[in-house]
Amino acid sequence: MQILINNRPVEALEGETLIEVARRAGSSIPSLCYAKGAKHKSSCMACAVKDCKSGQIIPSCTTLPVEGMAIDTEDAEVKLARTLSLELLLSDHRADCEAPCSMVCSSGLDVERFLGYYDAGQHREALEVLSAVFSLPEVACDACKAPCEKVCRRGSVDKSVAIRAIIKELLAVDEKAYNGEKKNEYAKDKSLYQSRLGRFTSTEKEHLQAATSSPSRCLHCACAGREKCRLRLYSTEAGIKRSRYEASSALPMKKIPIGGSLCFEPAKCIRCGLCVYNSKNGFTFTGRGFKMEIVLPEENKANISENLAKLCPTGAIYKQK
Amino acid sequence: MQTSENTLPPCEFCTKDNHSNVLTERTDAIIERIGARRATIIPLLQALQAEFSYLPQEAIERIYERTEIDRAQLISVSTFYSQFRHIPLGKHLIKVCTGTACHVKGASNVYDAFIRQLNIEEGSVTTADRMFSVEKIACLGCCTLAPVVQIDEKIYGHVMPGKVDEVIIDFIENQTKKEKEELQKAQRQAAGEVRLGMGSCCMASGSADIYKELQSASAQLGIEINIKPVGCVGVCNKVPLIDVVSADGAIDRYPNVKAAEIKEILHHHFKPAGYLKRLKNNILWHIDTLHTDATWDNVVWKPEHERTGLISSFLHNQKHISTEGFGFLAPLNLDEYTAHGGFDALQKALATPRKEIVEAILKSGLRGRGGGGFPTGKKWEIVAAVQGEHKYVICNGDEGDPGAFMDRMMLESYPFRVIEGMLIAGYAVGADKGIFYIRAEYPLAVERIKKALALCRERKLVGSSIAGGSFSLEIAVFEGAGAFVCGEETALIASIEGERGFPKQRPPYPAACGLNGLPTLVNNVETLSQIAYVVKHGSEAYRSVGTEKSKGTKVFALAGKINHGGLIEVPMGITLNQIIEDIGGGVEGGRKLKAVQIGGPSGGCIPAELCGNPVDFDALIQLGAMMGSGGLVVLSEDDCMVDVARYFLNFTCDQSCGKCTFCRVGTRRMLDLLNKICSGKASLADIDLLEELAVNVKRSSLCGLGKTAPNPVLTTLKYFRHEYEEHVKGICKTGTCKDMVKYVITQDCIGCTRCAKACPVSAIPYTPYEIHTIDTEKCVLCGLCVEECSYEAVKKIGKAQKASVKP
Repeated sequence: MQILINNRPVEALEGETLIEVARRAGSSIPSLCYAKGAKHKSSCMACAVKDCKSGQIIPSCTTLPVEGMAIDTEDAEVKLARTLSLELLLSDHRADCEAPCSMVCSSGLDVERFLGYYDAGQHREALEVLSAVFSLPEVACDACKAPCEKVCRRGSVDKSVAIRAIIKELLAVDEKAYNGEKKNEYAKDKSLYQSRLGRFTSTEKEHLQAATSSPSRCLHCACAGREKCRLRLYSTEAGIKRSRYEASSALPMKKIPIGGSLCFEPAKCIRCGLCVYNSKNGFTFTGRGFKMEIVLPEENKANISENLAKLCPTGAIYKQK
Repeated sequence: MQTSENTLPPCEFCTKDNHSNVLTERTDAIIERIGARRATIIPLLQALQAEFSYLPQEAIERIYERTEIDRAQLISVSTFYSQFRHIPLGKHLIKVCTGTACHVKGASNVYDAFIRQLNIEEGSVTTADRMFSVEKIACLGCCTLAPVVQIDEKIYGHVMPGKVDEVIIDFIENQTKKEKEELQKAQRQAAGEVRLGMGSCCMASGSADIYKELQSASAQLGIEINIKPVGCVGVCNKVPLIDVVSADGAIDRYPNVKAAEIKEILHHHFKPAGYLKRLKNNILWHIDTLHTDATWDNVVWKPEHERTGLISSFLHNQKHISTEGFGFLAPLNLDEYTAHGGFDALQKALATPRKEIVEAILKSGLRGRGGGGFPTGKKWEIVAAVQGEHKYVICNGDEGDPGAFMDRMMLESYPFRVIEGMLIAGYAVGADKGIFYIRAEYPLAVERIKKALALCRERKLVGSSIAGGSFSLEIAVFEGAGAFVCGEETALIASIEGERGFPKQRPPYPAACGLNGLPTLVNNVETLSQIAYVVKHGSEAYRSVGTEKSKGTKVFALAGKINHGGLIEVPMGITLNQIIEDIGGGVEGGRKLKAVQIGGPSGGCIPAELCGNPVDFDALIQLGAMMGSGGLVVLSEDDCMVDVARYFLNFTCDQSCGKCTFCRVGTRRMLDLLNKICSGKASLADIDLLEELAVNVKRSSLCGLGKTAPNPVLTTLKYFRHEYEEHVKGICKTGTCKDMVKYVITQDCIGCTRCAKACPVSAIPYTPYEIHTIDTEKCVLCGLCVEECSYEAVKKIGKAQKASVKP
C-alpha cells in the first residue's frame, strides 16, 4: 500500500504503523510511549503527525496506514502539538536531570559522580573524576566559595553534604592516584534541557533523611537514567527551556528498590504505560485522570524483568550502577 | 489500596472470631454466582460491594486465590471506576448532586452544610458514629429539582444549605416510620383510574408519598380505583402530577398535588361504593372543608386547565417520537405497549429484508444522539457489511453528562421502545447478542430494563427465534461502574471486557473489531428509541421533521435558571429562544438571559444574542458548541461565565481516563489557570496561555472526551472574554467567585440576631438591637445569613468594595 508522507510516496508494509513507515522513509519522529516490538497504547502524543485529509492531529505510533492516506510530519501544528505535549509532561515530572552541585562547579567537576564512587568505596575512580578537572585540587577548592555546598539538595533536608571535606579526606588517603593530565569526560553540557526537582515537602524530607544511608550523606539527586532519557533529548531538540505551567501537584520523590539492581522512581514517570503492558501481573495503574499513577504492588515485584529499564522512556525505571 | 488494610473497621456482619470465615464463604458464593474470568471483574466487584458495602481486603485476597483476576488487574480496574470503595462508608449515604443545574444553584454550599451539620471532621466524609457519609456525585439526573440530595434511596429536591438539618431529621423519621408501617392493598372493582408519574424526578418531589396517600385514601373512603404508576410525564417542574381517569374515560390532570389534597380530589371524582359511606364522607368532607385552614386558599380540586395554563404551553411545540405515549404508558405494561402499536415496527422489520431496513434508516437521515451526530444508517451499513457469524449490538446508556437525564428517563419510562429499537438494529446488522450498558447510578433504569427484558422473553420477543422467526437476539444488561469516559464507545467496550475504560485509537472501528474482537454496533439509547418510529412510519415521515441535515426530534433536559424545567422532545431546527420562552416559560425570577449551556462538558455556552439560532448538529458546531447528549442549562445574568467554564473543566479533568497527555495533564493545567483566574491572581498573559492550551487540547487529544473538553472554555473566551479580563482585575460582577466577594450587613439591619444564630462558623457576633457585622476572616460564604434575613440587609459585594451605606 502506498501513502504520502510530506508529499512523498512511500510504500507501507503489512502491519506497519505510521511511525514505522515514516522512520523507514527517513523522517525523524520522536516517540516516548512507543517502543518497537513492545506492547504499547498511544499516550504521549510526542509522535503526533497530521492527517492532511481530515486535518486532524493523530498519533503515528498506533495509527495504521489506510489506502490513499497523506500525512505531514513537519507541519507547524504538528510541531506545536509535540512541543506542548513535552511541556505538559515536564510540568508533571519531578526530577533533577543533573545534580545542582555538578551544575554549579566553576571548575566543571561532576560532584555527584565523584560522591557516587566515594559512596561505593571506589576511591580510585573517585580520584580519577577529580583529576580530570583539577591540577591542584586543594587549592582550587580552597579558593572557591563552594556554591556546590550551597545548592546541595541535602541542605534543604537538614545539612549540606560536606563536599570539600570529602575531597580533602580522599586526597589525604591516596595522593598517588591523582593525575592532573586527564581530559574531563564528564563535563556537563549546559545546552541540554534541565529538569528541576523543586522543593521537598516535609514528608519527603523525613523520608529522604531516613532512607539515605550513604557515607557521604549525598541524596544522589542526579537522574540515573539521564543518558538514555528520551524526554530530555526531545525537550532539548524542541528548544524547551522550562515549563510555562505552574505545577499544581508534586508526586512524592521516592526511590523504590524493585529487586536486583532495578529501581523505580514514580516522580519521574510520564504514565506511558509501557511497563504495565509489558509485564505480567507486575506494574499497574491506579486512579484515573491526573491522579493516575503507576504502582508496583509489593507482591508483584518478583514478576519484573530487568528489560523494563530499557523500555522506560525516562529515568523512572533504571538499573543502579 | 494499601490503606484499607490499616483502617479496617469493626465488621458489622459477624463476630470477630469467625470474621474471615464468614467473609470468605460469602465471597466464594459470589464468585460461584458471577464467574471467575478476567472479563467478569466489574460485575464481580459490584456484587461484592453490594454484599459488604465496600471491597474488604480479605475478599480481594480471596479473588486472587480463586479467579483468573490478578493483583495488577484488580488494582487497575477497581481504582479506575468511581463506584468502587476500598474503605467502608457510614450506614446511610448522602449523595449531594453536583450536576450543572445543581451547581448553578449552589450545590457546593449544600455539601459544605452537610459536612458542618453532621460534624464531620476535616478530611473525612463519614460521621464518627458511622451513621452517615456524604459524597459528591456527578449528577443524579433530577436537574429540575436542583439542588438535589439523595439519602440512600430517597431523593430530596430544592435542598438549600439552611434546610439540611430538616432533611436529615425527615430522613431519620422516615426510616423509623418505614419499619412500622405495612400498607394494605385493596384493589377490587375499580371506579376509575388514577395515573401517577413515577420517574425519578416525580419520586424526588414526593410521588411515592402521593402513591401511598392514594392507596390509603382510597381504602379509607371506600373508593376503589386503579392506581397506575406511569413513566416520566416530562413536565418535571409540575410534579407530582396525577391524571384522574373517570369511568367514562374523561381525564383531569392535577399538577403539583400534595398528599393532603388527594382525598378531596378523589371525593370530587368518585363516589364511594356504599350509600352510608357516601353520606358519611359527604358530611365529613363538608366539615373538613369548613374547618381547616386549607379552605381559605383552597383551589386544589380545580383541574389543571383552570388551575394553570402553563402545562399546555409547555407541551405545545413539542413533538413526541422517543417519548410517544408520555403520561399514559405504564413503563412495564407490555400489553398496553403493544395495544398502542408497540412492536408493530419489529414485526414489519422482520418481514422485510435486512438491507432494506438499513437503507430506510440511511434515508431517514437519523444521526446518533449520543453527541457526535454520526449518521446511524452509515454505522449500520458498515456493521452489516462485515462478514461474521457473531456480532454484538450495544445500547449505550452510560449517560454521564452533569445536567442531562434523557437516557435515564427513556430507559425508565419507555423500556420496550428502546428494546424494540435494539431488536430492529440487531436484525438489520445481523447481530446475535445484545448488551444494555447502563450506568450504575440509575438503579431504577437497570431494574426496569431487566424486568422489561424478562417480560419480552416470556412473549418470545427476546431470545431465540423471535416472534417465531429465524432471528435470535440474546440481550443482557451490563452495569457501568461510574466513569464518564465509558460513554465513548471504545472505552465502553474495554470496560465490558473487564479493563480500565481507556479509549482506543480508531481505526479499527468497533464496527469491524469491537467487543471481544467481534463486529459491534454501539448506539445511544435515544437513537434506538427513534428507530421504531422510522421503521413504522417510513423514512419519509421521519425526514419531514427537522432541518436539512438534522432530521427528527431531540430530547433535551431543560434545567438551570428557567421557570419550567423538564424533559422536552422538540423537532430539530427549533430555536433556543423558542425553547426558553415558549416551552420553558422564560428565565427564572424575571432575570435577563445571559447564555445557554448546551451539550454539557463537551458543549459550549451560547450567548443570549445568538439564541435565535436553530438547534441542529451543524449549527451548534458552527457556534463552537455541540449537541452533546442534550443537557440544556439556562444561565441568567446572575451566573459567572468563568465559573461555569471552570465547573465543566473540573468535571472533565476528574473524569479524564488519564491515558493521553493532552487530556490528563492538559485539562489539569487549564483548570489550574482557571482557578488562578477565579482567584483574581492571574494576569492577562494567563488568558492567552489558557487559550493556546485549549486549542491544542481540542486538536490533539486522542478521544472525544479530550477533544471536546475545552469547548466550554473556548466558547466563553469567544463570547465572554470581557468577563475573564474583569476577573484578572479582581472583579466578579455576579459575585460567584468566592475569592473576590465578601458579605456585609447594611444599615437595613434591625438587630434581630437571626443571621447570628444561623451562621455556622460564628462569623457574626450576637448583638441584639444593634446593626450586626460579619467577620470576613471567619466567613465561609455559605449564604445562610442571606436566606435568614427578612430585611435584605445582608449583601454580597466585591472584596475591594466598601459596604454601601444607606441613610
